[in-house]
Amino acid sequence: MQATIALLLDTANFTLALLLVTLGLVVIFGLMNVINMAHGEFFLIGAYVVVAVSGATGSFWLGLLLAPVVLALVGLLVEWLIIRHIYHRFIDTILATWGLSLVIKQGVVVLFGPGAQSVPNPLPTAVDVFGVQYPAYRLFIMALAAALALATYYLFFRTKLGLQIRGVIANRAMAASLGINTRRMDRATFAVGSALAGFAGAVMAPIMSVDPQMGVGFLIPSFLSVLVGGVNSLVGALIGSGVIGGATTIFSAGISQADAQILVFLLAMIIIRFLPNGIIGGRK
Amino acid sequence: MTRSARLGLSLTVLAWAGLGLAPLVLDDWNIGLLTQYVTYGIFALSLGLIWGQAGILCFGQAIFFGIGAYSMALVTLGKLPWLGDSQWTGLALAVLLPMMVAALLGWIMFQGRALSGAHLAIVTLCAAVVCEIAARRWEFIGGFNGLFNVPPLSAPNGDPLSTNATYFFVGIAALLTYLLSLWIGRSPLGTVLAGIRNDERRTLHFGYDVRLHKIFVFTVSGAMAGFAGGLFTTQFGFVSPPLVGFALSTEVLIWVAVGGRSVLMGAFLGALAVRATENAMSASLDQYWLIALGALFILVVVVLPQGLFGKLLALAPPRRLGRGGTR
Repeated sequence: MQATIALLLDTANFTLALLLVTLGLVVIFGLMNVINMAHGEFFLIGAYVVVAVSGATGSFWLGLLLAPVVLALVGLLVEWLIIRHIYHRFIDTILATWGLSLVIKQGVVVLFGPGAQSVPNPLPTAVDVFGVQYPAYRLFIMALAAALALATYYLFFRTKLGLQIRGVIANRAMAASLGINTRRMDRATFAVGSALAGFAGAVMAPIMSVDPQMGVGFLIPSFLSVLVGGVNSLVGALIGSGVIGGATTIFSAGISQADAQILVFLLAMIIIRFLPNGIIGGRK
Repeated sequence: MTRSARLGLSLTVLAWAGLGLAPLVLDDWNIGLLTQYVTYGIFALSLGLIWGQAGILCFGQAIFFGIGAYSMALVTLGKLPWLGDSQWTGLALAVLLPMMVAALLGWIMFQGRALSGAHLAIVTLCAAVVCEIAARRWEFIGGFNGLFNVPPLSAPNGDPLSTNATYFFVGIAALLTYLLSLWIGRSPLGTVLAGIRNDERRTLHFGYDVRLHKIFVFTVSGAMAGFAGGLFTTQFGFVSPPLVGFALSTEVLIWVAVGGRSVLMGAFLGALAVRATENAMSASLDQYWLIALGALFILVVVVLPQGLFGKLLALAPPRRLGRGGTR
């Protein structure tokens, strides 16, 4: 029973962290039709911002606050330097952002070295959850990720800005002719999506080994989540993250992590193969 | 023939002639390097064929390269006793096995509601990652460390080939691969592939079996990549899991994009150019090399979608498509 609760908590934890990364991807893809292959590296930068800031000032929390700000700026810069030039060349956005991810990854290697860094756990206590001793910091991550996800949903479905964004997603030309500045919307979305990834990286830094490869490790599961859940849908992102995050955690409990990864990828590929529109769009 | 097409043809012939004459001016060490680059060139051709000609953006091309490399290593090291340990058997398996894997993967991806664009890129990327993890964990093929002491290409009497002989063997293999790809690209089949690349739905409505064409070209490309992998192993003497992984898959993507994805010769020379530059620069740029390569890649994609050589090396369209037609 206790093992089950611990497993459920782990699953929820990973799923929610994955959801933060996935949300950014979905929003950017849905609005701009851009596949951001550098999204994993935005996650990576977020983690390294925490490493740098907590190393310099000793305060993890300052790093956690700064990471999304830094990433929002990075997002704006990337949009301005690269994305806006290749807007209508879908395949080229994949390639260019892939190049970007190589540059960022190697840049991190140059700045911080190829080895793993560690960030001390800012909440080193454990909390009793239904008889299970669970690390307080992981609970904090879950609460924060859930809150942010809810905030994103609120932004999209309850505010005027969200309505406009959804309008642009549904019909860009129509939205533009109704007086919505779609370019500004794109920039803002790219920045917010990047900030979400950076925040996820920052918040996960204390419980992961922070090394230059961690971005890819998160990019692929989050891509799979997008495709499994259904492109273009925030609910799809939630379902996808649940499937991928849940499967990863549950398989890892029984078998080695590498085998679990293989199984999850195969599972995801089968779902993508037979439900190309994702679980959400399956019956359409 | 238009002027640019004449230029393209002469430059293409010139490039091959230059490669043929290289042993006259280069020493053994550099010929050895050039042999490796040409091997990578074959690999780039395999991607150029599906990406440039048919518009299939595959992020997992190294899967086939790696399977080819492992096949060659397993056969020549005698790990598959029932196949003997001849290099010809090795090369044959290095072509056949990746071909079958490509056919299977192609069938999975293109049959039914075909995957394309982002879905295809991500599925192939994941496939490469899965293969790399699997290769690391499979002890029979050497696990994490891979397989060592793969014998170099040798003459029928068992002596290893000289550097120049290896170079010519690989070079002729590359030329034949190039001609085969070129022939596919310029045949009526290639025209259908170009149609699929430009507008898949329209091609479908003209009555062509788009899926079958895609599976076919994907299979051929897998065989070519496997062939390159087989040749690669004999030069390096070892195989290891990164050969089937996604890092190499993306490297080949960069070579092809930088060289020019729409022209086969551009893809081929892209591999040679990037690898040669890497060799020349990586000593002085050290860890900044990858940053420079990534930046170059972004720049080429954004500013020069045709690649560095794409415009220069473009050939005239096949004659049956009309005299001096415009592309």
